[in-house]
Amino acid sequence: MSVELGHFALVLALALALVQSVVPFAGARLGSLSLMRVGEPVAITGFALVAAAFAALTLAYVQSDFSVLNVWENSHSAKPLLFKVTGTWGNHEGSMLLWVLILALFGAMVAAFGRNLPPTLRANVLAVQGLIASAFLLFILLTSNPFIRLQPAPMEGRDLNPILQDVGLAVHPPLLYLGYVGFSISFSFAVAALIDGRVDAAWARWVRPWTLAAWAFLTGGIAMGSYWAYYELGWGGFWFWDPVENASFMPWLSGTALLHSAIVMEKRSALKIWTVLLAILTFSLSLLGTFLVRSGVLTSVHAFASDPTRGVFILAILVFFIGGALALFAIRAAALAPGGLFHPISREGALVLNNLLLTTAAATVLVGTLYPLVIEAFSGDKISVGEPFFNLTFVPLFLPLLVAVPFGPMLAWKRGDLLAAAQRLQIAFVAAVIAGLLAFFMIDREAGFAAVGIALALWLLLGALTDLAMKSGVGKVTPAAAWRRFTGLPMSIFGTFLAHAGLGMTVLGVVCVTALETERILIMEPGQSTDISGYTLRFDGLSPFTGPNYTEDQAAFTIFSGGVVVDEIISSKRLYTARGMPTTEAGIKTMGFSQLYVSIGDEAAGGGLVVRIWWKPLVTLIWLGALVMMAGGTVSLFDRRLRVGAPTRRRPARSGERTA
Amino acid sequence: MLFWVLIALLTLIASLAVMWPFLRNEGHAAPGAEHDLAVYRDQLSELDRDARRGLIPEEDAAEARAEIGRRILRLKQAGISGTSAGVATKGKLVAAIAMTGVLAVPAVSWGFYALLGTPGLPALPLAARLTADPANASIDELIARMEAHLSANPDDARGWETLAPVYARLGRYADAAAAYRRTIELSGPTAEGQARLGEALVGESGGIVTADAEAAFEHALGLDPANPRARFFLAMARAQEGKPQEAGAIWQKMAAELPDGSAWKSAANQALAGLSVREGESAEPSEDELAAVERMDPEARQDMIEGMVACLDARLRENPDDVEGWRRLLRSYVVLGMTNEAEEALARARDALGPDSPDASALADFAVELGIGKGK
Repeated sequence: MSVELGHFALVLALALALVQSVVPFAGARLGSLSLMRVGEPVAITGFALVAAAFAALTLAYVQSDFSVLNVWENSHSAKPLLFKVTGTWGNHEGSMLLWVLILALFGAMVAAFGRNLPPTLRANVLAVQGLIASAFLLFILLTSNPFIRLQPAPMEGRDLNPILQDVGLAVHPPLLYLGYVGFSISFSFAVAALIDGRVDAAWARWVRPWTLAAWAFLTGGIAMGSYWAYYELGWGGFWFWDPVENASFMPWLSGTALLHSAIVMEKRSALKIWTVLLAILTFSLSLLGTFLVRSGVLTSVHAFASDPTRGVFILAILVFFIGGALALFAIRAAALAPGGLFHPISREGALVLNNLLLTTAAATVLVGTLYPLVIEAFSGDKISVGEPFFNLTFVPLFLPLLVAVPFGPMLAWKRGDLLAAAQRLQIAFVAAVIAGLLAFFMIDREAGFAAVGIALALWLLLGALTDLAMKSGVGKVTPAAAWRRFTGLPMSIFGTFLAHAGLGMTVLGVVCVTALETERILIMEPGQSTDISGYTLRFDGLSPFTGPNYTEDQAAFTIFSGGVVVDEIISSKRLYTARGMPTTEAGIKTMGFSQLYVSIGDEAAGGGLVVRIWWKPLVTLIWLGALVMMAGGTVSLFDRRLRVGAPTRRRPARSGERTA
Repeated sequence: MLFWVLIALLTLIASLAVMWPFLRNEGHAAPGAEHDLAVYRDQLSELDRDARRGLIPEEDAAEARAEIGRRILRLKQAGISGTSAGVATKGKLVAAIAMTGVLAVPAVSWGFYALLGTPGLPALPLAARLTADPANASIDELIARMEAHLSANPDDARGWETLAPVYARLGRYADAAAAYRRTIELSGPTAEGQARLGEALVGESGGIVTADAEAAFEHALGLDPANPRARFFLAMARAQEGKPQEAGAIWQKMAAELPDGSAWKSAANQALAGLSVREGESAEPSEDELAAVERMDPEARQDMIEGMVACLDARLRENPDDVEGWRRLLRSYVVLGMTNEAEEALARARDALGPDSPDASALADFAVELGIGKGK
């Protein structure tokens, strides 16, 4: 019964979403507060119903109810419990349900916490949210229904794709979807503003925290996906410029731009039209990402769904929302009053530069992702636009952006002083140049890339620190006063610091791994040793092992450093018996921020084992940096100023702090 | 029944959610201007705080304060002209929309569910199905039960022994092989067990007797040299290796030794029949094989052609009525330059076909065309 109740809850949620998309909107047109208010209880109830449907599906997975087609196709009774639960969204239907669940969650949050929004704005926002939810619920029910039953029910399922049987599946899609779908709120606010023909003062203050939250989740989701691919796929790459990765990277780039332009809008009422457009574009890119991954137009590891009717349906959704929003923008944008003026050299100017570079970068990624698809559609040729394209287009756009990052927070609003900012940054600049030169002479004389990259990464890190120090008044006031001022700084300043420093960490990790990693591929016999980057690895032998739903051959390696045993690594080749699918499980040992990565191949003809060993210097910084960025977003979110109408806490003025 | 009550209850809750604002009867909308004003006041106090902390120089703060002030002023002017216009509530239209909204909930949900749902079908958790009465369970269910039992008691040799042939019959050869292995592990090797393991392995590889399977059959014959299953499949291995004589010999022996009515006797006979048919086919190389011959190096090519001719020769010794076959053999020997063999074959053909038969004279004419048989 639980399965059918879940199915009915989902259908009921569609009915409520339809009501939500029409009634509050009509209410806003007619000026009826009661009709406008319908959006709130309906959004909250709708969320409860989608959650109930999701719970019913999860229960079916946990109980191995193979009378549900979706469970039979993607589960197996021998799977560990965690993977039964995560298997719920490890397939097309379930992941779409998760998508809608998160959409409903965000809608319910606007309904619950939006009491201080102007009622028409809130009604319009909820109506747009309802419209998106209706479209996707219809998509699920008509083309990707996870509640289709199977009668008679088989006794055993076909198991989940072994690559997905990993903790990564528990974390990566939910985070990614929280990011993707989080941008729907900014989109709804943008469309609501266009419908009303005015941008309320509350608009920017609302859009910013939602964008911030979505951005933080998306950052975490992308980083988690990257690390998952790194350790699961067994060839040690952290980013492949795979269309699926690009699909999540594009909204991140434009979302980052949106985040920054929303600051300008909030503080200075400027860039209104641009911010509205960015909000529309960011969610459009999220929808595009959903389309690319979910329609099966791509064939890659992630594309575990393919059905042309689905593709056409999502394409229709895409055209309706993106086309509709852009058309509305074209009609109404002129009506939005332009905001404050500013000098090119100013905080606003720096943020505009940031926006231009980020959106252009997003455009290059878009071209690199869609071009092969267009070629394939027209000529049938399958071409691949890989790393070389992105190195030539994306990297040259991103480098000046990275150089400019530390300047932004140093410049004053309205009109800034570039020279003064440069003077304040001179310590960071000198230190970065010295580090770059050291790297050039001591590590890598040939490429020069490592030197530039390391200098750039340090420039970002030290620039972020300098900003923090300057805002606390270090060097201008007594250390005690500086400390007091430091602890009193608004949270958003710490957020900026963490986000920019995290970016520096990620850049450092990427540069070090790309330029300085060492790789060895060889055939090893048991007992044989090999040296890599100061460590010695001894292959101890292969031994069989049986897991709950797989068998594997484990290769054990002992790591020596200077003749002393440091640790051991187990790397294995796994065979998932239900699908007869092999996977490689890389052996990874973290030493400081660096990692030793061992992946085994087939047994060679002579009896030895093909072994690939990488030394990946500072590789973990790539993901740690992303986590720090995510923390920055979260810290910023806790800045109480982001809450509209929050009562102000008066504090007596302290004369000692007035020095600056 | 409970199900229908529950979904009726859910529908009621959803409809109530739509009606909620009307039940509470909220007042009129506060004009948007008040909300904007709250935000601007908030910004002002924030500005004061920043200025006090020294984050913004005093002159900048003053300028920002002035700008926010201007915004408030603009808002107040707009508010005076805006709010007085007011929006008259169109009562009837509002009621109609509300009513439609409330009615849409049951209409849409029950309508869609009638199309998509399977209301009669209960949830079927695996654990519950496995503990239900076995009398009316399907084969699949019985297997699943057995599997559940064996995963809890993996040392139950009889269980594995029962399950293994069931797997094999359902074509789940990999599972069958694993089950036989487990049986052998637990209760020691038997000839029949080894032979059945080998058979499962053959099934898994789509009918090819692999090295693993052959080892299992050899093991079985070591335990019982008369085991028909093992003998049968070892003969098949020979046949697949391209040694039909050896295979045929084993099968012939089996057919001779085994008692009438034995399943293996008829299997051996069938295999023999199949062997002769297959041999006939393989004497005539297919297009692909010929293309492969073209690509070979001359020495290997010569070897292969000679092998094929020898094959044809051997077949014609056993089955000499094939005139076309004799023609091909003669031509082959002539092309290879083996005239002695050609003459000898011509003589054999004449004997076999009857020296005065029309077939024999036609063959003699053919031989003359090839440039042999002039001596007779």
